[in-house]
Amino acid sequence: MLREMAVSAIRTSKLSKDYGLGRGLFDLDLQVAPREVFGYLGPNGSGKTTTIRLLMGMIKPTAGGAYVFGLDCNRDYVEVKRKVGYLPGDMPQFGSLRGKEIVAYLGGMRGGADPGNVRAIAERFDLDLNRHFREYSSGNKRKLGILLAFMHRPDLLILDEPTNGLDPLNQQEFYELLHEARDGGATVFLSSHVLSEVEHVCDTVGILRAGKLVRVARLDELRAAGETSLEEIFLSYYSETDQSQKALPE
Amino acid sequence: MTAIRLGLRLGRWGLLGFSVLAFVSSLIQAVGFYQIAGHTAASRAAFAQSMSQVASQLTFILAPPSGLDTVGGYVEWRSFGGLAIVFAIWALVSGSGAARGDEEHGLVEAVLATGVTRSRWLASRVIGFAVASFVAAVASGLGLVAGAAGAGESVAFGSILGISVALAALGLSCYSVTLLIANLTAARVATAAAGAVLLALFLVNRLSQTFTWLVPWRWISPFHYYELNQPLAPGGAFDARATLTMIGIAMVGAAVAGVVFEWRDLGAPLVRWPSRHRSPSYEPSHSPLWRIPVARGLYERAAGLATWAAGVAAIGVLFVYLTKTVLQPLLSIPNIAHFLGAFAGGQLYTTFLGYFWLTFAQLLFAAFAIAQVARWSAEDSDGRLELILSNPRSRASVVVERAAVLALGAAVVAAVSGVAVALATHYEAMEVSGERLAEGTLLLVPFALVFAAAGAVLAAWKPRAAVGLLGGLAFASYLLDELGPLLKWPTWVQDFSAFKLYGTPLATGIDRGGLAIMVAIILVGFTASILLMERRDVGA
Repeated sequence: MLREMAVSAIRTSKLSKDYGLGRGLFDLDLQVAPREVFGYLGPNGSGKTTTIRLLMGMIKPTAGGAYVFGLDCNRDYVEVKRKVGYLPGDMPQFGSLRGKEIVAYLGGMRGGADPGNVRAIAERFDLDLNRHFREYSSGNKRKLGILLAFMHRPDLLILDEPTNGLDPLNQQEFYELLHEARDGGATVFLSSHVLSEVEHVCDTVGILRAGKLVRVARLDELRAAGETSLEEIFLSYYSETDQSQKALPE
Repeated sequence: MTAIRLGLRLGRWGLLGFSVLAFVSSLIQAVGFYQIAGHTAASRAAFAQSMSQVASQLTFILAPPSGLDTVGGYVEWRSFGGLAIVFAIWALVSGSGAARGDEEHGLVEAVLATGVTRSRWLASRVIGFAVASFVAAVASGLGLVAGAAGAGESVAFGSILGISVALAALGLSCYSVTLLIANLTAARVATAAAGAVLLALFLVNRLSQTFTWLVPWRWISPFHYYELNQPLAPGGAFDARATLTMIGIAMVGAAVAGVVFEWRDLGAPLVRWPSRHRSPSYEPSHSPLWRIPVARGLYERAAGLATWAAGVAAIGVLFVYLTKTVLQPLLSIPNIAHFLGAFAGGQLYTTFLGYFWLTFAQLLFAAFAIAQVARWSAEDSDGRLELILSNPRSRASVVVERAAVLALGAAVVAAVSGVAVALATHYEAMEVSGERLAEGTLLLVPFALVFAAAGAVLAAWKPRAAVGLLGGLAFASYLLDELGPLLKWPTWVQDFSAFKLYGTPLATGIDRGGLAIMVAIILVGFTASILLMERRDVGA
């Protein structure tokens, strides 16, 4: 009841982005409650990144709408981003800028980065901000992306495959950071291929197939109901032999 | 074979674009020749005489012409002379992209992982560019053939083939020099270093026309060997030895680049300087500039801006000396001094400095604007724009900040070069109006912004094609300014050229009408860019 009364952190209504030839995202109805960690699952090309870009106001929906804390992602995109920390799927090139300059540059667009929080996260991941971006390994680039997403303590974290390229130790560090953010009141929306990761950190999962949301479930409810593992549920939607023809389970 | 096919595929847009550009360039010059020079021997002789006066003022860019009373001689000077510079720029961009750009994007690593050897990969890129530059050079020759055929004349096949081979050989030698320099240097400075070397090779040859002390050095320049080829002009010939020398430069350059490429680590220069030990830092930069819109953009580009300012200032100073060197001997001849004085309305040095320097400065500022637009396109395609927009910023503010950074950057380059030119004229005791020089130099800022506004529209509409389209637009604008008066096109048509709108501020003062049109174009362009940005998808 309380959950229904609160303004959803994320709400989409018939959200669609049609790229033609059956590609895109179709009629997405989704609600993510505040302080929830929502795992968004699906294989490549299923529409995860499209959903994230729609939420971030980067791309325009062909139908429907998306809302973050009640704000229209398309119309109020500047206000939305005050509340959001974003980690894209791939880090862009920053060439010869140093890590500390990138943090100050992007932090400056928010009116300045909190040096204490930056230091804490950088130390945690042992990310040397004195080095040039081009010298960073792919793992270090990912750490920098995480730092940029978390540094302003956002109310909502939108993370596109956040642990790609991170070693197991840093993955653990990231999970702890995520839990701390959630405990601090943040909502998390993360896409992932890694089922064990989602099982480990998420409260709720949504499964996408060919641009359509086919299942949303709370993990604790699945466990309480004695359902099979997340992996088996996920795979039940993706038969290798006949992905497109398989009837959707009710 | 697969590597060669890939090399050709990677360069297909360059091949297509430069072939079209080369064809159109020669076609327009050939058609223009018949329209202006006429069809009688007398009218062509008069045309040749007036053109040779123009040519004498352009020796710092184009080789002295011959046979200007024939379509072959005229197109060889106007089109193939300019195409030498265009092919060198193409070779620079393509060569540094092949040597270091593809490496930064992981393409080289992926190709080498398939078992292709480094030397084979490099050879495939050289062959790919050789084919592309030859096709584009032949396209230029065909433009001349088409233009001459339209007037019922023909050009000898051997001459067309000769100039095409020479132009392709020049392009290839510049490409190999670029490959070599780019393999020796760090990736971040590869293009600038190779560009500096090519510019030096170009200037050594061209300025040897004015400064005799450079004559003993011009043998090092492939541009010198290119100019020895004059197969289109009557009495001229294809110089096989000079062309073979260019091909030799290309082969030696590519071979040495191949050896360097075999020796060095991927992603690193051949010689890596030991880096200073720095203790790790977990602090963000404390510079307050990162928080100030526009200032952060200038601060980030500080090194690039300093290089542009220093480079443009150095070229400006060079043009001051060039102007004096060209004018002084003429002024010692009383009749010519009288004629020049009358032509320049008493402001001799002011007028001629404007003609020499500001004409070239316009090209530099157009290139500056195109370089900034290339950066906007790259920000779009590599995801940086997406990350910037993940902050609480409107898309309009991003466009406005880009425009402001470019305007202030251009102002810095203009101010530094203006001061350098003013000091050089003072040092050389040349009487130049300081007020007009300041006006003309500052007018370069709105001039650059005209291209930036067009680039902003293109970057918001088709970011991946923006640089190519803007380059074509700049070229068309330049041609319009060149041909409009000759072909007596209406003023409103000529006003589409930014070069025409800039006018001749040192000789005649600021053209307020032209300035108003430039400001209107800037406002309309950036407004359209904001509207397009608001509507489009980013990162899709």
